[in-house]
Amino acid sequence: MTVRIIAKLDVKPPYVVKPVHFEGLRKVGNPSELAKKYYDQGADELFYIDIVSSLYQREILFNEIEQVANKLFIPFAAGGGVKSIDDFSKMLHMGADKVVINTHVVQKDPDIIDKAAKIFGSQAIVVNIEAKKWENYWECYTDCGRIQGQKDVLHWVKEIEERGAGEVLLQSVDTDGRCRGFDIELASKVVNLVNIPVVVSSGAGSLEDIKALIEVAHPSGVAIASLLHYDRVTIHDIKKYLNNNEVVS
Amino acid sequence: MSNIIGIVNYGIAGNIHSIKKAVERAGGNTLVINKPSDFSLVDKLIIPGVGSFKDGMQELENDNFINPIQEFSKPILGICLGMQIMADLGFEFGKTKGLGLISAEVKLILCDGKIPHVGFNKINVKNPNVLLDGVENEEFYFMHSYEMVNYTDITALTKYNNHSFVSAIHKGSLYGVQFHPEKSREAGIRLLSNFIKL
Repeated sequence: MTVRIIAKLDVKPPYVVKPVHFEGLRKVGNPSELAKKYYDQGADELFYIDIVSSLYQREILFNEIEQVANKLFIPFAAGGGVKSIDDFSKMLHMGADKVVINTHVVQKDPDIIDKAAKIFGSQAIVVNIEAKKWENYWECYTDCGRIQGQKDVLHWVKEIEERGAGEVLLQSVDTDGRCRGFDIELASKVVNLVNIPVVVSSGAGSLEDIKALIEVAHPSGVAIASLLHYDRVTIHDIKKYLNNNEVVS
Repeated sequence: MSNIIGIVNYGIAGNIHSIKKAVERAGGNTLVINKPSDFSLVDKLIIPGVGSFKDGMQELENDNFINPIQEFSKPILGICLGMQIMADLGFEFGKTKGLGLISAEVKLILCDGKIPHVGFNKINVKNPNVLLDGVENEEFYFMHSYEMVNYTDITALTKYNNHSFVSAIHKGSLYGVQFHPEKSREAGIRLLSNFIKL
């Protein structure tokens, strides 16, 4: 099957920002304008993550999410600061098709995955993993790569799958925003461990990086931020390149 | 002639917003159905689908929507779970009775690929109909773990890792699609426009 090419907006309302290693935020634009731009370029999906909501412990800004959703006729996943079934419900009603969750389930209440899967269906639950590599394992981080989650990524992905998550968004604190390639070793391990789709993010610096990731790790999707934000390539370029090189997952 | 598309709002799981927006883009007028008496105000019905078979049916029952849907004689389009719950029986979180509009069952997809099946995929039209007019060669967005089985009034199949499953059905005034037209770019808008014009 064709690998989904997903545009990822890391948002610090009211701006899309782009951190390097999840830090040093730079403004890159307006969320709904960028969403429309990537939709027009042929994105298969869009991910919107309010990256400071958990960190600042403030309420989710649902209006911002609704404005982005309004521009799109493709799947839209939204997250950042999700803490309750009510948050899931509001996100979905604002036009999100999938809800992305990390901090709350790692730190406090993993049971919410089971509950949400039962109510909304597994397909609506995306668990975001912010992995950091240590000498011989990867640790889950939370709050936009700030806080150590004290969970082993490879154990955690199995757990969330069993609990009913429908998809993994796999990000790497080490490679994010550097545009020097993905953590392919981690991606391969996670894809092989679980039966649910894995979307890999963090590290695309070139078309070759994306090709290498897909050919080695076989993810279901690739989420791209910096490479698109700085107009180095378009989604159309990526799809054409993968198609010409016959890259399939 | 009035032509109002009713969108069944059941429970906390629905993606009413997306459907409403897409139907309006396709040129339709919409009415979100919040109570049983609303069914008499609309000319066509869309049953959206986000959530599980079990909770979906429970919500329809709580809202007293089961009878009005079963008795609705004008065209109905079920989307994803909205198509699945037209069946007799669903096997998601136990065994649940469906709307029983069509003789089919809904079961977990068993195949070599990752589940849920997520992403854009082609439809292979088996029996052309008005709903699929002009979109036969397009790709649509799928997001599901369950599929309709033991069913014969199939208009399209879709292949996922060599596993073929039912992606569109049609029987009388009932239409169903496993994919999400509201998330399938212009092809989806075209399909909704075909439904509006029925």
